[in-house]
Amino acid sequence: MEKESIIKGLHPLEIKVLLQFTRGEKLTNELLMDTLSFNLGQCNQVFSWLSQKALIKESQREKHVFLEITELGEEYHKAGTPEECMIRLLEKEGPLTLPDIAKKMGIENKDAGSAFGSLSKEGVLLMDKEKRVCIGDCSGNKKMDVLKDLIASVSDQGQVLLDSLTEEQKGIVLQHSKKRGSAAGIFKIAEREKISYSITDDGVSAGKALKERGITGEEIGILTPEILARGEWKTKGFRGYNINVPPSRVLLGRKNPYVNFLVDLKDKLISLGFEEFEGPLVETEFWNSDALFMPQFHSARDIHDVFYITEPQYAKEIENPYLDHVAKTHENGWETGSRGWNYSFDRNFTKRLILRSQGTVLSAKTLTKAKIPGKYFGVVRCFRPDTVDATHAADFYQIEGIVLGEHVHLKNLLGLLKVFAVEVAGSKEVKYVPAYFPFTEPSVEVHIKHDVLGWFELGGSGIFRPEVTKPLGINVPVLAWGLGIDRMALLSLGLNDLRDLFTSDIEQVRLRKRRNSYAEN
Amino acid sequence: MPKIEVNEKAFFSLIGKKLDEDELIRILPGAKAELDDWDESEGILKIELNDTNRPDLWSTAGLARQVKILLGCGLPVYDFFSMKEDMKETGDRIIKVDPNLKDIRPYIAAFAAKGKPIEESFLIDIIQTQEKICGNYGQKRKSIAMGVYRADMIQYPVSYCAADPVKTSFVPLGFQRRMNLREILTDHPKGVEFGWIVHQFEKFPFLKDAKDDVLSFPPIINSATLGALEPGDSFLFIELTGIYIDTLLLAASIVACDFADFGYDILPVLVSYPYDTLYGREIPTPFYFQKNISLEVSFGAKLLGETITPDEAAASIAKAGNQVTTEKNTVILSPPPYRNDFLHPVDIVEEIMIGRGMDSFIPEMPGDYTIGRLSRAEVFSREVRDIMVGLGFTEMIYNYLGSRSDFIEKMNVPDSGFIHIQNPMTENYAMVRKSILPNLLASESVSANAVYPHKIFETGKVAFIDPAENYGSITKNYCAFLEANKDAGFNDMNAYVSAFFFYLSKTYLLKETEDPRFIPGRTALIYYTDQLVGILGEFHPSVLENWGIQMPCAGVEIDLDILLKAEGV
Repeated sequence: MEKESIIKGLHPLEIKVLLQFTRGEKLTNELLMDTLSFNLGQCNQVFSWLSQKALIKESQREKHVFLEITELGEEYHKAGTPEECMIRLLEKEGPLTLPDIAKKMGIENKDAGSAFGSLSKEGVLLMDKEKRVCIGDCSGNKKMDVLKDLIASVSDQGQVLLDSLTEEQKGIVLQHSKKRGSAAGIFKIAEREKISYSITDDGVSAGKALKERGITGEEIGILTPEILARGEWKTKGFRGYNINVPPSRVLLGRKNPYVNFLVDLKDKLISLGFEEFEGPLVETEFWNSDALFMPQFHSARDIHDVFYITEPQYAKEIENPYLDHVAKTHENGWETGSRGWNYSFDRNFTKRLILRSQGTVLSAKTLTKAKIPGKYFGVVRCFRPDTVDATHAADFYQIEGIVLGEHVHLKNLLGLLKVFAVEVAGSKEVKYVPAYFPFTEPSVEVHIKHDVLGWFELGGSGIFRPEVTKPLGINVPVLAWGLGIDRMALLSLGLNDLRDLFTSDIEQVRLRKRRNSYAEN
Repeated sequence: MPKIEVNEKAFFSLIGKKLDEDELIRILPGAKAELDDWDESEGILKIELNDTNRPDLWSTAGLARQVKILLGCGLPVYDFFSMKEDMKETGDRIIKVDPNLKDIRPYIAAFAAKGKPIEESFLIDIIQTQEKICGNYGQKRKSIAMGVYRADMIQYPVSYCAADPVKTSFVPLGFQRRMNLREILTDHPKGVEFGWIVHQFEKFPFLKDAKDDVLSFPPIINSATLGALEPGDSFLFIELTGIYIDTLLLAASIVACDFADFGYDILPVLVSYPYDTLYGREIPTPFYFQKNISLEVSFGAKLLGETITPDEAAASIAKAGNQVTTEKNTVILSPPPYRNDFLHPVDIVEEIMIGRGMDSFIPEMPGDYTIGRLSRAEVFSREVRDIMVGLGFTEMIYNYLGSRSDFIEKMNVPDSGFIHIQNPMTENYAMVRKSILPNLLASESVSANAVYPHKIFETGKVAFIDPAENYGSITKNYCAFLEANKDAGFNDMNAYVSAFFFYLSKTYLLKETEDPRFIPGRTALIYYTDQLVGILGEFHPSVLENWGIQMPCAGVEIDLDILLKAEGV
């Protein structure tokens, strides 16, 4: 089985080596270059792969001195040496002075001088009476040809054993080698380890298996449009891939799991017949608290419970008749049947601009334009001066809603809360307890039993007080509810710190997953 | 929500029997209370009270009273309350009020309590009552402050006067030396804590007896003599001062009932005002000021969704702890002296609900048919999110509040148009964002270890100053996106913008602009028809440096509200 997967995973280069050689042969870079026309890189690669699979093993390791080419050498290989270039220039333009030559070749005077020097020594170039350089006896040009050939062969092979050179070549090499610390030379001489390998028993049997199956290493790898166009696939087989290679990572665009959690909540509420409301982040004390019949001296209306805006401090106006109605309701109950809070309502303070601190502010505003019967909800970002930690946030979502109807009552409220418990929180057990909110009467909290979290408070609710609804023009009962979704959101996202819901960390968001989003009810 | 500590021994002795944890958990919701913890070794129950309008429940005696009622032990009777037509005898126990207090701290209520030597556990409970009633219900002593004194050292009449803060001095509790009232505000810890209530007045409230012995400097601190209570004292004088008469009278009644429940005789005190009050110039306290309130039973029954007869309603109301009578189809409730939370007949409905028990109400879905609908902004935002994800972007969601450093300084922009918070808790939540781009860069600055390219976006709200608006500011829905990569730049971003507009079936135009956040020559304003809807650019290296970002970034921000508006209605 293992052998099978090794054979299937072999690269064409490996296949060629295993088919070509057998036990006892000494495998070297040179051998592979000669017999299989590999380049140096391919040799190194194939030895490394086959060693890892134990199809070959290292048999000998000896130090050798190699000749390698430098970057400058590669340049000369492409463009020619300065000597060659100079001869070509003179052949084309006739005799020139050395400064002219340097200028035309774009090199320094002294480099032009040294190229001339080495060529004039061989008699290839001469200096005429007008100090112009002209071509002399080209038969002395042999040395230059040797250099040119050598550059080409070292460049092609990557490295050449210094000992394999002729004496003449060696002389030239020494003349053009980079010396330690000096500027560029054409060659560099480096001592490298030369490793030879031998085929192992596994390698031999792998080779046999390849032969039996007729695998040649010439099979089609990546299928290209050219192969399709030429129809090569009709005559060639395909190389099998190792399907166990770990896949590379794909970076994808995706929606944020917390946003999706909120989106699903909205969809649930839509399915229950609720219409979504929205509103501005900045609000007035009027809508945030006064319209909800919270007296202006209420202990929860402290500087510590709401963020005040620095500038501007006050709204230009509060819409009438709502302002008058609400003010009178606070003062003496107005026409609501209430005795009111019995204090003098501050009509300036009510215009104070703040960041909304509870979603109910939008429920109240919605009353002024609500249909009867009607159901409304909002997923509302709220702000409170709280010390931020794993369980407290200063900037968070609340889910709030209202139900208006001529005949709605407490039992409908309990019914809705039960549906939320089942549909939104996935809980089957529900418990109701009396509660207190300044703007509802009666008020009820709903507690649910969650599979993981145990019993906890899912939300608060009640029937809006007439002191809230009548001043805003509503004369039917209004059920109001709010759900605490943070704990469910954390659970759903596998988190335990509220701050992580709004994380800046890209990797966290990329990897984050939601649980239970398509659980059965 | 107030949380109190209840002495277990005293609590169960007041109730008359010991309850186990299950019984307690079952009964407490009737008092809108929750058992947080029961420390059996210390004998302390920790209880959270949810009704901020029921301060009578915020003490051991008060909570025990309500539990006893819910257990069916009947209503307690208190015979020391005066009413308009029934003034109780006060003997020489008189407090004379100085006319100058009318605009400073006009009201006072008091009584004496005589009984057994005071136990330490009760003393602790009195201090807790003072903290909860005065601190929480009384707005940190502004509308209610309370003092307890050794009654046998007091010579009546007591005078509640407006004193010169510099010329008046005494030895306050907790100190050895005489201090004048101004010094107390600056040097005494209670003066530092509560001085804000009186410091703006020329004269301060002051309480002394007929011998000129000092009781206290309300609402700040007692004297070290008459005001130094000790375990073993058995005759006490209790006074409360405040600025709203109903709130004050209620608080005094609550404290008096607590003392009575602990077995003390309550001796009323007559307060004599030189000015008119809601209840006259001579008020014996504790004083029952509450008015009867009536409910048409059919209205309550409709709200509860049940068929209820007046007698059934009355029975439930009584069970919840109230005196009640019926008259045809109406029930008339007389609030207990320690409660003043019946503002509207609906408040009686809740008493019926509690009296009947929550379990008696069977949940039922509303019968009205209504159509559910998302807001247009939400529908549009969903479309935009789909496009952005299709373009390979990862959606982020951020806090709307942030710091000056992130929104202004690191962005190289001036402090203009931002909504600042006047009372921030920390500089990290000090202003509202007017652009999403700083949030995206903040992500980039903490995500250098995440595999590139980074392509992120958010659709969300921003808000900024707009003098034309009634609120002086406007909230808008924006979409912003950012790419960070070796070759992130203007052209790629423009390609995304092009796709964005194409799939929204809209066209756009770019106009070159300069913006301190972006590289000059690689910044453009985005126009839809002739309206400016956004900006596109390569972030300036100085901005990237401010954020500590080592990767080129380009960003786009688009006003979704303008594009949505163009969709028509």
